[in-house]
Amino acid sequence: MKNLKKALLLAGLLGAVAAYFAADESTRRYIAHIGKQVPYLPYRYFI
Amino acid sequence: MPDYDAIVIGAGLGGLTTASLLSKNGFKTLVLEQSDIIGGCCSTYESQGYKFDVGASIVEILHPMERFFELMGKRREDYIELLPCDPIYSFITEDGRRFSYPTDIDETTRVIESIAPEDVEGWKRFSSLGFEMIDRMMDAMMLSPMKTIPEAMRMVIKNPEAMRFLPLLMRTHQAVTRKYYRNPVIQSSVAFQSYFAGAPPEIGSGIFGFIALTEHLGIYYPRGGMISIPEGIARAGSEHGLEVRTGCKVEKILLEGRRARGVLLEDGSEITSDLVVSNVNAKVAYLKMVGPENLPRWAVKAISSYRHSMPCPMIYVGLDTKPDLEAHHTVVTGSIESMNKVWNDYYTKDLIPSTAMSLICWPTEADPSLAPEGHHILNFLCNAPAPYAPLGDNWDRLKGWYREEAIKSLEKVVLPGIRDHITYMEISTPLDFERRLLSPQGSIYGLFSDMTSLALFRPHARSRVIDGLYLTGSSTHLGGGVPTTIASGIITSGYVLKDRG
Repeated sequence: MKNLKKALLLAGLLGAVAAYFAADESTRRYIAHIGKQVPYLPYRYFI
Repeated sequence: MPDYDAIVIGAGLGGLTTASLLSKNGFKTLVLEQSDIIGGCCSTYESQGYKFDVGASIVEILHPMERFFELMGKRREDYIELLPCDPIYSFITEDGRRFSYPTDIDETTRVIESIAPEDVEGWKRFSSLGFEMIDRMMDAMMLSPMKTIPEAMRMVIKNPEAMRFLPLLMRTHQAVTRKYYRNPVIQSSVAFQSYFAGAPPEIGSGIFGFIALTEHLGIYYPRGGMISIPEGIARAGSEHGLEVRTGCKVEKILLEGRRARGVLLEDGSEITSDLVVSNVNAKVAYLKMVGPENLPRWAVKAISSYRHSMPCPMIYVGLDTKPDLEAHHTVVTGSIESMNKVWNDYYTKDLIPSTAMSLICWPTEADPSLAPEGHHILNFLCNAPAPYAPLGDNWDRLKGWYREEAIKSLEKVVLPGIRDHITYMEISTPLDFERRLLSPQGSIYGLFSDMTSLALFRPHARSRVIDGLYLTGSSTHLGGGVPTTIASGIITSGYVLKDRG
C-alpha cells in the first residue's frame, strides 16, 4: 500500500513536469505564477 | 464609554456603504477620511472650471447600489441620477480600425458579423452562458460572503449551478476568450478587460471575461461626476446620523491586547470605539495601522504575501473643442500577445511600456456641465501597468517626459492636432495615487486579483486576528470596482450586524 502511494505520487509529479514542458510559453508563465502563490494559500485562507 | 459605536477609516465606497448601513441600524458611526474629498478612487476634483474623475469612470451592474438603497429604505433615484451611456465602448485597434459595441445585443451581433463572421456563433454561446450566469448567480456571487469553506459551501448548496461556472474562475482570461473567439480583433476587444482586473490575459481569471457582457445590461455615468455616487451614499447615511470628517488621517488602530479600541489620528488625538472598520488597503491596515508587532507571525506572513494590483498613470485633460470620439469610453487596444508582452517584457522588469494601450473617458459626452460651455474633458487612463519605481527612478522627475509622451500618443492614435486645444492637463502618477489615496505603490485595484487571491483567499471582512476589526473595500471580497466595493460594504455591514446587531 505504501509503495503504491509512493508510485502514484511519483507518477503525478512526473505527469505535472511533463505537462509543464509540453505547454506553450504563456501557459508555463501562468503555471509558474500560480506555483509561486500556492505556498501562501493556507495562510491567506485564515487572514 | 467609547466615543462612537463604530469608526470607519476611509470614505471610499466600501467604507461609506458600511458606515451608512450601520447608522441606519442605530450605530453611532464616524467616518474618518484623510483626503479633503470623499470617494477614494470614485471621486471627482475641480480645477479651472473642469471637474475630473480621479479614477473610476463608469458604473455598471447596478444591483449592489440598488440593494444598498433598498436596505436603507430609500430610493436610489432620490440620491444619484444615472445617465445611460450607449455605445458601451468604441475601439481603436493596433492597425487603426475603429468600431463600437452598442448596448443592444442584436446590434452587437451585427458589429461582430461585419468584422468576423466566424465569431458570431462564439459570441452567441459566450453571451448565452454569460447572461445565464448573471441571471442565476449575480446575487449569490456579489452579495454573499464567501471567505470561509462553510460560507462557500452554503452558497453552492443554495445555487448548485455555481459548479458549472467554476471552471471560468479557474481558467485564464485568454483561455476563456480564445475558447469563444478566433478573430484577433474580437479577442482583443474582450481580453483588454483583464487589465481592468489588474492582470494580463495570461494570468487574469477567466471570470473577468464576462465583465464586458454585464455592460450590455447598461453602463451609466452619474450626473455631476463619479463623486455623486459616494455623496449620495453619504447623504443617505447622514439622514440616520452618520458623521463624516475629511482631512483626518488615521495613524494607528488602537489595541488592547488583540482587541480594537479606537484610532489614533495624525494630530495625536484619540477617538475610541470597540468596532473599527478599515476601508484602506488591507496591507496598510494590518502592517502599518495595526503593526506587525501586534500580529501573530502567520498573519504577518499571510498579509505580506499579497501582491499589490498594478499601478497606472492617469491623465486629466481639458479641451476647448469637442473631441472626435464616438463613445463615453474609447479603448485603444492591442492583441492578446501584445497585452502579455507589456507585462512580461516591461512591467516585471521595471520599465515603462511604450504602448498606446489606453482607456479614454469622455465624461462631458454624458454630462456637459462638467466643463465650461463649449469645452470638454478627457480622462486618459494608460491601460497598461507602469512600474512604481521605473528602474529605480522617481515619477516626480518623470512627469514632464510622460506628459509629452501622452500627448504624442493621443495625437497619433486618437485626436490629431489635439495639442493646440489643450487648456488644462494634469497627470496622476503612481506616486500621486499613493499620496492621494494611501494606495501602496499606487496600486489602483487594491490587492492583486487572480485565483490565488480571490474569494476564500482574499482578506476576510471580519478580521480573524484582531477582535472588533472589520475590513471593507477593494482589498476584500470581491475586489476593485464600483459595484464590487459597494457589495463589499453590504457584506461587511452584514458581518457587523450579525455579531453585534
